[in-house]
Amino acid sequence: MNRKFIGITALLVVIPLYAQADAVSELEAKYQSQGGGPFSAAAGEALWNKTFIDAKTGKGRNCTTCHTTDQTKSGKHARTGKVIKPMAPSVNPKRLTQAKKIKKWFIRNCKWTLGRKCSAQEKGDVLAFLKSL
Amino acid sequence: MLNQMTQPPENFSKQESKVRVWDIPVRLFHWTLASCFIVAWLTLDNRYLDIHVFAGYLMGGLILFRLLWGFIGSPYARFRNFTFSRLEVWDYLKGVLHRHPPRFLGHNPAGSWAIHLLLGIGLSIIISGLLGFGGEEQQGPLAGWLNYPQGELMLEFHEWLSWLMLVMVIIHLMGVLVESLLHQENLVAAMLTGFKPSAVDAVSSASHWKIGSAMLAIIITVSLFWFQGYLTETPEKRYQPFYGSALPDNLLWREECGACHLAFHPSLLPTRSWKAMMEGQVSHFGEDLFLEQNIVKEIEPFLVKNAAEQEATEAAWKINRSIPKAETLLRITETPYWIKKHQKISDAVWGHPKVNSKVNCAACHIDAEVGTFEDAAMHLPDDIEATAITE
Repeated sequence: MNRKFIGITALLVVIPLYAQADAVSELEAKYQSQGGGPFSAAAGEALWNKTFIDAKTGKGRNCTTCHTTDQTKSGKHARTGKVIKPMAPSVNPKRLTQAKKIKKWFIRNCKWTLGRKCSAQEKGDVLAFLKSL
Repeated sequence: MLNQMTQPPENFSKQESKVRVWDIPVRLFHWTLASCFIVAWLTLDNRYLDIHVFAGYLMGGLILFRLLWGFIGSPYARFRNFTFSRLEVWDYLKGVLHRHPPRFLGHNPAGSWAIHLLLGIGLSIIISGLLGFGGEEQQGPLAGWLNYPQGELMLEFHEWLSWLMLVMVIIHLMGVLVESLLHQENLVAAMLTGFKPSAVDAVSSASHWKIGSAMLAIIITVSLFWFQGYLTETPEKRYQPFYGSALPDNLLWREECGACHLAFHPSLLPTRSWKAMMEGQVSHFGEDLFLEQNIVKEIEPFLVKNAAEQEATEAAWKINRSIPKAETLLRITETPYWIKKHQKISDAVWGHPKVNSKVNCAACHIDAEVGTFEDAAMHLPDDIEATAITE
């Protein structure tokens, strides 16, 4: 009984970690096949904090506009004020577990922040940065 | 008994003794009813609907009690002792005009008619209020008896009756003032203490303090029960007085639409708006949603099926009918009904850090997440209460 309980608990802890490793490595492999790599967390962090000027509004945008500079804390959607849960997997284990979600948000957020698609290299770097948190 | 209560003014000048005319239940009824009437007028704002409704319930209970007390109460409280013919009222009023109205220990003929009318109008106000509450809000014991338009009509009637009652109250107050002056006695004090100066042999009422205490105990208990939610609420979890029936929900819709903003319930916009929204997802208020077809295929039917035309809530019905048929609005905040309901809110409130923008319904609407938008489920964040009210 007790052993079973420990076993299930261990599984519950391990599965998300495994899923994260799985989703991230799947995407890393994909980005490599598209010409990216090697990926660096430092480059990802630099991109994360880099300011891009929006062509329409003339205002600066960067990842921290919504996600703030501390990834262990909640952020706030720039336009709607909706709370965005922490990005750091150490605080929010659900992060980086679904490749589909990661892809979707890269598409949306690169377009809003950078005004263009992110390159495979950029996406890989940001992933490296986020998974280290 | 009537004769005993009716005394010529010359007797009055002797002031031989004091007699208890108004027993405790009558006095408690009188002042609580007056308070309810005032409270009801002060709580017309939808935010205070629960208080308004409570004032109504209490008024209804009091009037029913008074009708019963009119048959079993002390002598001056019984209807048969203050039922006068039109002629008697006319004679009394003529006496007032000549500044020598006869003095009545209990209700005078004009006052009696005012009381019968006030009780009748009061009861009609309660019934129309209950029907309106059951129709327009789909709440209360008569929920579902009427539909929204019928409920709205009933509330117009309710309002009209309330003005009529206000006029009656003003006439009643003027009557009290005139009679107090003409007879040189303080009738307001008499309604507070119960006593009036009189000849020794006049009929006196018992205080009926037991019934009075029971009434007070019931009023206090019922009030505590009704408002207990305010005692246990926290800033994070506000008390919500009324709950609407559960609206259709969808997990995928909540996840996709609720990722960037509140998942606005489909009932807040008509079908044509939702169709246009999904068609234009490439430029969703300036952002490309990149929703895949299989996601669109689940979310769009959910939006269409539960759109405002279904009139699932009062808000849905009112939003839908406020939009001109030729217009396809994409923002709830652009619908005429929304604009009308929020016009008194200042820019300072919208810009407040806790509100952030007009998109953030949940800043003030406690039930925004479930989409019912009940009238009394509104609470401005504490530190902006003052700025909103001065507007």
